[in-house]
Amino acid sequence: MDSLADGPQVQVRFVTQQRQYAIPETPIQTPARLKRYGLSQIINLILQNEGEKQRPFDFLIDGEFLRTSLQEYLDDKGLSTENIVTIEYVESMLPPTPLSSYEHDDWVSAVQIHAQGGFLSGSYDNHVRLWNKQAECLQVFSGHTGPVKAVQWLTSEDETGTFLSGAMDQSILAWEYSLLDNQHSLLYECKGHTGAVESISLNATGDRFASGSTDATIKVWSTKVPKVSDPMEDAGKSRKRAKTSAKDDRVYKAPLVTLTAHTGPVSAVVFNPTAKDTLYSGGWDHSVRMWDIESHVNVWTKNCEKVVHALDYSAHAGLLASGHSDPVVRLWDPRVDDSSVVKQTFSGHQGWVSSVAWSPESAYLLASASYDGLIKVWDIRAKGALYTLVHAKGSKKALALDWERDIMLSGGEDNQMKIHQVKSNMDSTTSSN
Amino acid sequence: MPAAKAKLATKAAAPKKAVPAPKKNVPSSKPAVSKAKSAPAPVVKASKKRSVQQAAAEESEEEESDGEFGDVAIDMNSDDEESDAEEEEDDDEVEDFPEESQDMSSADVEDDDEEEADSDASSYMDGDSLVDSQEENNDFSDDADEENDDNDDDEEEEDEDNFENEYTQIDPNFGRNLDQPVEEEDEYQPIKRVYPEIDPVYDSDSSTEENENTVGNVPMEWYDDFPHIGYDVNGKKVMRPATSDELDKFLSTMDDPDTWISGHNAQEGKDVKLSAEELDIIRRLEGGRIPDAEYNPYEDSVDFFTSKTEIMPLSAAPEPKRRFIPSKHEAKRIMKIVRAIREGRIVPRKSGHVLPKPKYYNLWNDDDKPREDHVMHIAAPKMKLPTHDESYNPPAEYLPTEEEINEWNEMDKEDRPKNYLPQKYDSLRNVPAYGRFIQERFERCLDLYLAPRVRKNRLNIDPESLIPKLPSPRDLQPFPTRLAVEYLGHEGRVRSVSVDPTGLWLASGGEDKTVRVWEVATGRCMATYRLEELVTSVAWGPNKDVAVLAVACGYKCGLIVPEKLFSPELTQHSEEYVKAGFANAGDSEANPKATWKQPTASEHSQGIRVWIHMQKPVKQVTWHRKGDYFSTVAPDANNSAVLIHQLTKHQTQQPFKKTKGAVQRVMFHPNKPMFFVATQRYVRQYNLQRQELVKTLMSGVKWISSMDIHPAGDNLIIGSYDKRLCWFDLDLSSKPYKTLRYHQQAIRSVAYHKRYPLFASCADDGSVQIFHGMVYNDLLQNPLIVPVKILKNVHERVESLGALCVEWHPTQPWLISSGADHTIKLFS
Repeated sequence: MDSLADGPQVQVRFVTQQRQYAIPETPIQTPARLKRYGLSQIINLILQNEGEKQRPFDFLIDGEFLRTSLQEYLDDKGLSTENIVTIEYVESMLPPTPLSSYEHDDWVSAVQIHAQGGFLSGSYDNHVRLWNKQAECLQVFSGHTGPVKAVQWLTSEDETGTFLSGAMDQSILAWEYSLLDNQHSLLYECKGHTGAVESISLNATGDRFASGSTDATIKVWSTKVPKVSDPMEDAGKSRKRAKTSAKDDRVYKAPLVTLTAHTGPVSAVVFNPTAKDTLYSGGWDHSVRMWDIESHVNVWTKNCEKVVHALDYSAHAGLLASGHSDPVVRLWDPRVDDSSVVKQTFSGHQGWVSSVAWSPESAYLLASASYDGLIKVWDIRAKGALYTLVHAKGSKKALALDWERDIMLSGGEDNQMKIHQVKSNMDSTTSSN
Repeated sequence: MPAAKAKLATKAAAPKKAVPAPKKNVPSSKPAVSKAKSAPAPVVKASKKRSVQQAAAEESEEEESDGEFGDVAIDMNSDDEESDAEEEEDDDEVEDFPEESQDMSSADVEDDDEEEADSDASSYMDGDSLVDSQEENNDFSDDADEENDDNDDDEEEEDEDNFENEYTQIDPNFGRNLDQPVEEEDEYQPIKRVYPEIDPVYDSDSSTEENENTVGNVPMEWYDDFPHIGYDVNGKKVMRPATSDELDKFLSTMDDPDTWISGHNAQEGKDVKLSAEELDIIRRLEGGRIPDAEYNPYEDSVDFFTSKTEIMPLSAAPEPKRRFIPSKHEAKRIMKIVRAIREGRIVPRKSGHVLPKPKYYNLWNDDDKPREDHVMHIAAPKMKLPTHDESYNPPAEYLPTEEEINEWNEMDKEDRPKNYLPQKYDSLRNVPAYGRFIQERFERCLDLYLAPRVRKNRLNIDPESLIPKLPSPRDLQPFPTRLAVEYLGHEGRVRSVSVDPTGLWLASGGEDKTVRVWEVATGRCMATYRLEELVTSVAWGPNKDVAVLAVACGYKCGLIVPEKLFSPELTQHSEEYVKAGFANAGDSEANPKATWKQPTASEHSQGIRVWIHMQKPVKQVTWHRKGDYFSTVAPDANNSAVLIHQLTKHQTQQPFKKTKGAVQRVMFHPNKPMFFVATQRYVRQYNLQRQELVKTLMSGVKWISSMDIHPAGDNLIIGSYDKRLCWFDLDLSSKPYKTLRYHQQAIRSVAYHKRYPLFASCADDGSVQIFHGMVYNDLLQNPLIVPVKILKNVHERVESLGALCVEWHPTQPWLISSGADHTIKLFS
């Protein structure tokens, strides 16, 4: 502690939004030469965390993460050391570390992680692949005739599971697999879209899923496996389909609901995991819409100036994040009725944002993948990006991103699916709690 | 004076003669007028002549009065001032004018009483006052005479006699019978001095007197030293008469009663008694009067014209027109002078009118007055106002410390910030005289004299004001600004790109003999069609229900129905739609210019459904908005350069029997049955229904390279190989509304956005320029064109080719450009 007394001192006041780490908001004299680690030690000291219980903290001053010493920061900003500096501290997220890379034959356009550990990837070679953590391709599902644009887990146990895949061949296929006998089978095909299926989302209870397509419609389907094909509306279509797909004995499923309010291709749909009937969608008509799928009502519409490419909803934050045809990640508050009000924007990318994913555990962390080949992790309390991960070099696009537990999964133009380990200490605390 | 009287007489005569006239018939009055005309005319002339002679002889004062009278006489008949002025001015007409006025007055007077006329005339003019002044003059002269009376009564008598003599001499004229002819006036002589008669007898010659000194008029003091005082006619000396001394002189003067009127004649050397005339002269000189007793300084003024104004003109002749119109002659003369002044031949007020320089003038007269600013005048810089430390009692803080004083003293004179040190005095009384006053004045004068002062005339033009007021590009968003997606895969120049109506698929054709279809959002190549020839143009069918891609490739035009991109139903329908024409191919006779053919099996498997073979290489293919007709351009195929094909019937029409010039581009109007054909210099608009030429647009460029039509159909842009982009407002004019020359190299392609008010052009310099082109519904408002973005070096220059084609996304503000560097790029 002798060392702490050396050099110039700054009065700081520590505040936090995380209740469990709250300390009295009285100004404390701290040496100005302290960096993040030193300040973190002070917090831990005050919290009387010792040994194992010590938590790394990050420090925000005026919405910016402290990456230098206090003195340097104050000098940079031309601030006086006389005044009390208010520092917000948050539990630190450790830098994500790349784990492994999964080689594909073609561009990886869709990825999803199941909480139990299975990785799904859809590719432009029309195949869906199932991977394990050891970068082994467990199974390859080929049934699509166009590039797979969306994958969505339905259920997953240790050795078996079901999932959905949507592709540019306008179909959604439901698959069942079993690793025990290394078998997989096509459960049913969802038929009805007349454009490429861009996005699939499963609702909280798991009995409905929605799909967005370039034909400007959102269709809601049941996850129940039908025994026989639903009757198709158009006799002519069935005749044609009979001609084109006479080879197999697929079970066809018709949509429950078709939502048509978008005036351009629908590029993203996402269910609210806390309310089973609430669906958010975004499309090329520059709108973000909220739907009640039970009453088929477009509850509200928010407009911006750019095409929406990706959407994600965070149950923790209660916010929508969207990626657009510009290098900006936008945050929307669905609870605010005001249309076209963007709550927050994050700029830092160099290309279009192709995919966004909220942290499954934090209300503040958010990741985005962009056409510049980078994945950026944002803390919504800060202005700049927290971390920048390189998915692909040489301006190869990153096309898909998913974040589940401590794994961040990304796919892109470089035919790779990459896994990053995200060590947020929070999950350990939640598990310990 | 006598002349005036004579004149009065003539005037009086005229009415009297005319008195009987009113009793006669009116028509007969004419001859009377003519008579009257002939009669008085010579009189006036004579009088005028005389007056001229007189004028030379008499004093200027009198001349002036004559002139006035003359004016008055002219004035008589004309009441208005204009004609008056005119007559004064008009020199030429003056000569004969009095004649007429006299005539007129004589004619007019006929009906009136003489007295009335007189009184009227006098009332008309200021003759009264003139008469008064004459009388006054006379009085004055009388007074002068009276003064003379005091001096010499005799002389007075003589004077009076003379006067009377004169008077009596002239009297006959005055008292002349009125009936007497007026011609006698000619005999009148001006007043002459009457000298005493000289009788030319022998003794009348004074030169015969003896003892005459002949030295002449030389100073007699020359002879002071001689005994003689001159020589007589015979050359003999005239001896000086004996001179008496002063006492004798005095005594002789006492004796001689005439001494006081005698003077010493130096020539004769003796005293001579002065004659009465000489004495008179002396007396007059003494009195300060004119020595000549017979000279009358106050002669009576003689009327040149009568001072009486006639109410009636002597002539009944109407006023000539020239009285009322400005004189041409005079105008001519004035113009001559004006011209001379303009040309500088006459410098007004230079030669004759030089004002004499005043001998003395007040040197400091206008010293305190502000001088008028000369053009080159530059005001002297003002001296600085004194500050606190120049006060005699400055505040303490202004007073220098000891160190400062030392420092100031040590400093060089030039380096000192101030040339004084503040000093404190208790009272103004203690302030000494300023020691440096003279020096400072001198320096100030030096400053003013030596300082070079230059007036810099800066042009105060705000550069902002020269720039046309355009909205800021920031307010005109959205428009593409940055590269978003690249489409890589072509192995040759990409000549043409086209986005399908849904906005999801991008087709491109290049010189690698392939047509590729790309996913717009990701840049993924979804299909590649390998053809046999270079692909020059690709175009998606505009109908959303038929997915067909037209491709211009060498001598052929192909129709491709891409598989897997669209729903099977749509693909199926498109295929049927495209192939339907083969059924009735046999019905219509084959057009030799274009033959519709089935592709080979391998080609069919690729997706090519129809080939149209043509005679010359096809450069462009473009669709009608409904997606049934499309047109191809083969510039080399003279008359059949433009062909219009019908997809459903597989028929080809040749719309123009003869094409004027090499066709570069064709376009269908977006909503009317119109067709635009761009040749090298002109764009022609045809009505397809009526089959007639509607309009020819004169581009003013040398070689049109590309063309596009605004989605509303009223505006058109062309790009040219000579770097220009022309915007035509079809309703406005056949000339370009705006010509933009921003590119460094030949423009290759221009394109309008279907929804946003945007258009773009690309050029060989590899750059793409984006403009905001707002077309208003209001016909009165011209389109607003604002350059919003230049995308530089979008494409690398390869063999002097840069960007080759630009195309807008149909729904988003995204721009797609293709280039010679084998790439296609999307900007958002």
